[in-house]
Amino acid sequence: MTGMNRPIKRIALAALVLFVVLLLDVNYLQAVQAPSLANKPLNDRTEYEQNQVQRGNIVTADGVTIATSKPSKGLFPYQRVYPGGAAYAPVTGYDTVFSQAQAPNYATGVERAENDLLTGTGSQLAFRNFIDTLTNKAQQGATVQTTINSKAQTAAYQQLQATLQGKTFNGKQAVGGVVALNPSTGAILAMASYPSYNPNELAVQNTTTLNNVDNELNNEDPSPLLNNATQTTLPPGSTFKIVTTSTWYDQDSARNPEIAVASPQPLTLPNGNTLSNDAGETCGTGAPTTPVIYAFAQSCNTPFAELGVQLGGSKIKSMATQYGFNNSSALNIPGVTVAPSNFTAQSDPSFTAYDAIGQEDTTETPLQEAMVAATVANNGVLMKPYLVQQVTASDLSVVDQTQPQELSQPISSTIAGYEKQMMIAVVQQPEGTGYAFNSNNEGGIEIAGKTGTAQNGVSAQSDAVFTAFAPADNPKIAVGVMIEGGGYGAAAAAPVAVAVIKAYLATLGIQ
Amino acid sequence: MSSMTMPTPAVGSTPPDEAPTRRRSTEMWMMLFACGIVAFAFINVAASLKDQHLSTIAEYMIIFLVIVFGAHLAVRRWAPYADPLLLPIATVLNGLGIVMIYRLNQAGRDGNPSANGLPIGTLSASATVSQIIYSVLGVILLVLFLAFIKDIKVLQPFTYVFGLAGIVLIGLPALLPSSISGVAGTTAKIQVSIGGFSIQPEEFGKLLLAASFASYLVTNGKKLSLLTEKWWIFSLPRRRDLAPIAVIWSVSMLLLIFESDIGTSAVFMGLFVAMLYVATGRRSWAVIGFLMFILGAFLAAELVPHVMERFTVWLNPFSNANLLDGNQPSYQPVQGLYGMANGGLLGKGLGGGQPFWTPLVQSDEIFTSFGEELGLTGVMAILLLYGLLVQRGLRTAMLAKDDFSKLLASGLSFMFALQVFVIVGGVTNLIPFTGITTPFLSQGGSSLVATWLLVGALARISDSARRPAPKPIQDEGMTQVVSLR
Repeated sequence: MTGMNRPIKRIALAALVLFVVLLLDVNYLQAVQAPSLANKPLNDRTEYEQNQVQRGNIVTADGVTIATSKPSKGLFPYQRVYPGGAAYAPVTGYDTVFSQAQAPNYATGVERAENDLLTGTGSQLAFRNFIDTLTNKAQQGATVQTTINSKAQTAAYQQLQATLQGKTFNGKQAVGGVVALNPSTGAILAMASYPSYNPNELAVQNTTTLNNVDNELNNEDPSPLLNNATQTTLPPGSTFKIVTTSTWYDQDSARNPEIAVASPQPLTLPNGNTLSNDAGETCGTGAPTTPVIYAFAQSCNTPFAELGVQLGGSKIKSMATQYGFNNSSALNIPGVTVAPSNFTAQSDPSFTAYDAIGQEDTTETPLQEAMVAATVANNGVLMKPYLVQQVTASDLSVVDQTQPQELSQPISSTIAGYEKQMMIAVVQQPEGTGYAFNSNNEGGIEIAGKTGTAQNGVSAQSDAVFTAFAPADNPKIAVGVMIEGGGYGAAAAAPVAVAVIKAYLATLGIQ
Repeated sequence: MSSMTMPTPAVGSTPPDEAPTRRRSTEMWMMLFACGIVAFAFINVAASLKDQHLSTIAEYMIIFLVIVFGAHLAVRRWAPYADPLLLPIATVLNGLGIVMIYRLNQAGRDGNPSANGLPIGTLSASATVSQIIYSVLGVILLVLFLAFIKDIKVLQPFTYVFGLAGIVLIGLPALLPSSISGVAGTTAKIQVSIGGFSIQPEEFGKLLLAASFASYLVTNGKKLSLLTEKWWIFSLPRRRDLAPIAVIWSVSMLLLIFESDIGTSAVFMGLFVAMLYVATGRRSWAVIGFLMFILGAFLAAELVPHVMERFTVWLNPFSNANLLDGNQPSYQPVQGLYGMANGGLLGKGLGGGQPFWTPLVQSDEIFTSFGEELGLTGVMAILLLYGLLVQRGLRTAMLAKDDFSKLLASGLSFMFALQVFVIVGGVTNLIPFTGITTPFLSQGGSSLVATWLLVGALARISDSARRPAPKPIQDEGMTQVVSLR
């Protein structure tokens, strides 16, 4: 009878082991494994919790709210609203109530990049949230302040819209993009794209609606969801001559803008084909050589194509890469999806001749255009572009702040001075391609720029490009504009850039 | 063997004054504490959910207080020496179960959050009331048991009656059409559902089988333990004595195959093996039983696709094939894991989590909703309560004065432990997930009533075990006259 007590003790021990195993098991699951389970597929809990929180605002640098959350009577307590609409869509992106697992298209732009802080769940906010829990305050998302200037952004979008609305290219809506940078910091002052979309239509609480709207926008050709300011590449045309001449100056310190270079019309390429200036006009006085600055201002093709042949593809490529071409990892900008700009080192010098004047397989984004101008404006130093200025918690304390960061120095300050001199000539000298619009439209602001008119296979519709900075003596803003099928850079792209420059400088009191 | 003729030394020296060993006041204070925890949990839920009516909650709480203190009074009256921890533990667990079912029932109602804004589809509006009614029934059954079964040994003679009844109750759903026995949303056939009212007969079948095994082993235990055959270096039971274990094994396998009920089958096998081991003291039985179950489980996995699926889900819960494709077999267990992960160390607070994402969260997965809302801290407390109940049961088995009581108490306690292990291990993916009930917590009447009955049986056995030996009427010389009731 008592003989059973020994086995019962063993059974008790076995039961004890079972419970110890269970205790270890729940500890492992809830203390160790828990964080990694939060983002597994079909885990709706994190997103659901985030939707209960009033998401923080996204504001411009000058304090205009471009995304906010309003109390809603729907399934979730808040509805995301974008007061800026289509003009700011490339900046804000949109946010839905879904998680990535529920809908891969759940969010874009700054909304996606700064989701953790906007929802107040980021690790930087953990301590504040803990305090809020103790004081029984509702958790609130942090406010994200972008580098965007509302005046510049509005001007950029309105000008793009005015230029491109109803214009077709190859039977489709023509696209265009504008990027404005602060040359000394890299802060993105404006980033506009056309065609754009209304993010309010995508900030929905229902997957069917989300997918319908998203599919509709994606099926449009070109899709308005594409940010043409950073994701669409077009041939830069003559604006690339900045990079080509940078390479040329860089080879020999004795070189300067007054040196005359060969300027035939046409240029016979190594492969026997010929390359002409625009409309077959002669370069300068028609003499066999022309000063570089004059050829640059008039935007002759043959001198720079010849320089390209002499320099070779790989040298230009190395310069282009320092300017940001071929380099998508360096352009990892939170909140912005960037397509790499391309310069390919061709072994055949005949192709390099075209590449050197921004044709053939040289393509770039409006962002890259702006970066080239910004480099020149900033004495040869390229600052890394950024869109998020700072993040402030609900108690107004700064949680996160972007420090300007140098990306590279493609050219010396001397060469930057040469380039600046040439870009001023484009606008100020009578032979300059930008002289006409400048003398008509421009007031006291001295602008330095370079026009580009890139052939794209559609004969009457070249792509219009303009890259500029202002004021020329103390640059505050650098702009890149690309208009697909716009025609001459000076006619279609330059006015957009000037409008953005004026709008921005006005806010600084420069008129 | 008569067990009442001499004081058992194991009990220790019984003091002349028997009053302190009753511990009924201790029990009462602990009951009050248990009810306090339940009331606090209820208030917690009410505070964190929208549109709560305190009067409703107060009503529920009053009914609950009345029944559990009814149980306490019954124990005072009919089992005054019963272990004082059994009832408070049962009270707090049952109460927390009611609170959680109330909380889950509020999801999607009165503007409270839920997965799609709607109430949990498998949880009817009256679920809380039903759960309270089942608690009442469970306690009434416990009271009746204590009132009418004055000595657990009156159950001892019914070896084969209980055995047959147990097997019929367990096997019944397999024989019935799925429309009656199938559980919605699963392949399991474990209930008898007629006109909206359903019971799971196996919950009672398990208790009857435990009683049947106990009485069988009282008579045959010695035989099984002493008569062995030498087989190579092992001393094994005689082959003819293997018949009962073979029968039980077959029943357990049939359960697996025809009712798709792996969990119950494991609990059931474990119960038998544990009792066999207690009765014989021979580890070979435990080993044989364990190996047979493993063998059977693998055979079943090969034969029954549903069982195989449970294994693949266990091994790869997050694989696309299991989680995203087809009928998403790992969706439910994975949602349970997500819930517990969401709870973390301290939980989201009662009413603050999102247990509604997990399918059948009120039954199979209720442990995970505690994990989500009470956190690791809360589930460790619950596991300790379970563990404590089991250890009190096994302590009772140690103290019991007769073999039947010892076998029954240890069998019931170990079965309880195993059931907790199978379901908690299952929902945490420690072992393959099987849909069995979580004692006291899960929604569902059969399990709740049967578990109260189990507590009643343990209370009855521990009352007998802890009751001091009858006082000698005279005290002269070696011969003593004792009262034999």
